Amino acid sequence: MNVIETQNLTKDYGEGRGIFDLNLSVKEGEMMGYVGTNGSGKTTTIRHIMGFLKPTSGTVFVTGLSSWEHSSEIVKKIGYVPGEIAFPDLKTGIDFLKCQADFLGLHDMTYANTLIERLQLDPRANLKRMSKGMKQKTALVAALMNDAPIIILDEPTTGLDPLMRAAFLDIIREEHKKGKTIFMSSHSFDELETTCDKVALINDGHIIDICNMQDIRSRSIKEFKIEFHTKEDYLRFLSENYEKTRLQEQYNQVTIRVGADAASQLLGVLKHYNVKFISELPYTLEMHFKNILFSNLNKEQKNKTISNF
Amino acid sequence: MENTRQSNDEVPHMIEVSHLTKDYGSGRGVFDVSLHVDKGEVFGFLGPNGAGKSTTIRHLMGFSKPDSGSTKIMGYETFEQYSSILNHIGYIPGEIALPAGLTGWEFIKMMQDLQKIHNEQRLSDMLALFELENTVLSGETKRMSLGVKRKLAVVTAFMSDPDVLILDEPTSGLDPVMQENFIQFIHEEKKRGKTILLSSHIFSEIDSTCDRIAIIKDGKIVSEFIANDLKHASRKYYTVLFDNTNAKKRFLEESKQIASLCLIKEEADSVFISVEDLDLNLFIAQLSSVGVRSFSNRRETLEDYFMQFYKEEKDFGGALK
Repeated sequence: MNVIETQNLTKDYGEGRGIFDLNLSVKEGEMMGYVGTNGSGKTTTIRHIMGFLKPTSGTVFVTGLSSWEHSSEIVKKIGYVPGEIAFPDLKTGIDFLKCQADFLGLHDMTYANTLIERLQLDPRANLKRMSKGMKQKTALVAALMNDAPIIILDEPTTGLDPLMRAAFLDIIREEHKKGKTIFMSSHSFDELETTCDKVALINDGHIIDICNMQDIRSRSIKEFKIEFHTKEDYLRFLSENYEKTRLQEQYNQVTIRVGADAASQLLGVLKHYNVKFISELPYTLEMHFKNILFSNLNKEQKNKTISNF
Repeated sequence: MENTRQSNDEVPHMIEVSHLTKDYGSGRGVFDVSLHVDKGEVFGFLGPNGAGKSTTIRHLMGFSKPDSGSTKIMGYETFEQYSSILNHIGYIPGEIALPAGLTGWEFIKMMQDLQKIHNEQRLSDMLALFELENTVLSGETKRMSLGVKRKLAVVTAFMSDPDVLILDEPTSGLDPVMQENFIQFIHEEKKRGKTILLSSHIFSEIDSTCDRIAIIKDGKIVSEFIANDLKHASRKYYTVLFDNTNAKKRFLEESKQIASLCLIKEEADSVFISVEDLDLNLFIAQLSSVGVRSFSNRRETLEDYFMQFYKEEKDFGGALK
């Protein structure tokens, strides 16, 4: 069952700005990542899912209910961390969390306390004087303490230091394991790669690609970059039967493409060389999306040349 | 004449923090922090939230008075003589708060008036580089997305072409394309002789721009090093996945000949090890004689190095009672 589903979701702000004809679906227990440049429409999409904005056309369904029409119902099923956090006018983090608990009808604060400890948050701090990191942590506790089945995160790790980011992502991974349905936008390919099942790419308000992380991880082609100590070895290696994707003669460096099961064979060949450096270049989500954007760009240019005729 | 220039004591550093202490009580603040940045240098400042980066930077900007020690830019005390240096500094704060009720254009105009510099050519170059379009700038600042606000802060900090750039997490919230543009921009500015202090959480950004890097922890500088020293580390880390447990065992037995090999982690049919570069060929030869399914390496990165300093647990306390 699709827990989150956008059907031809369109919000037209004019002058080409907005989101257009989005079709996204997130199944129960699935975690979907969402990437795109600044201004491409990520936050607009999320605000429609939350039911804060009315689509120009199309619909968003959360657990089968239209977000816009049933906003007050679905909000209670979603733990939400917005991109820019604006707290209500309350004194401390504790006051805010209690107020939020009241709103949700939550009485047992055990899980809230566990989260506070994990994140090393001091909720007694004054809300207004909290640093970015503390606000982010407070917002995460508020979003998760109710054990809501759906979690929506808008660039939750922006501005967090590497330690907090790691703690934050660990918690998200656990929620995912518990079976939560999660939708998270981010600028870090790295963190989406290690957390998500699927990742969608939005560009200028249009979904360009939705990829399955399993396919990226288990790609059957590998690239190795090899550097030799001498020019002789470099030239000799070029005569070996490998598909070479990049040559950097000035550094005696060659990049080759081999099948995933060819590591052993390659090492056997390299045994007869004086190798300075060898590194596998992993196929990443970033490369995948760059390839797609690049090939789209080429298509556009071709179309343009055709229309110029 | 040349003699006076050669003595380091005589030429003030462009940015100099010496023995800066600001004690906020209960262990919070910065303590005896010293660092300096020379003309044409990019200095990286790393540390988790709350370690004292922004506090140091805010003192450098003259927003706060030191308990002891001093902060100087171009030889001027920043707290006392702020007005003398104001127009030479481009500053991007860690958290952006734009004044309400202004459009993007009005904000740019206001900042130009404050800076008393109206360099329209530079402004339009910056707007183009960071892809801020007229339709966006005509809108009110409060309706801008986080990324757009960040871009606006970047453009207004640089549009007067200042000599000293003080950047507190400048790319937080920018997309990868913009981050790349930003890094290119820093390279250009460095070539033009600008003095740059950059605090960031993004290791790749620090790695590709900085000459020297300092790590701050609990208000104290715990490490300062030349960026290149780390990049050229001769010990590298490898993950090897073997065909089966036997192949792994055979390798571990044979690899005892490799003096520099260090086994870090062992699993059923894989190992995580480190080897010095000079033993690389021997390592390859031994791997090739047993069955290997996959093989990948990791250099020790700035991130690994940084994490070493921050591994230990901290206890904050303060649960909801």
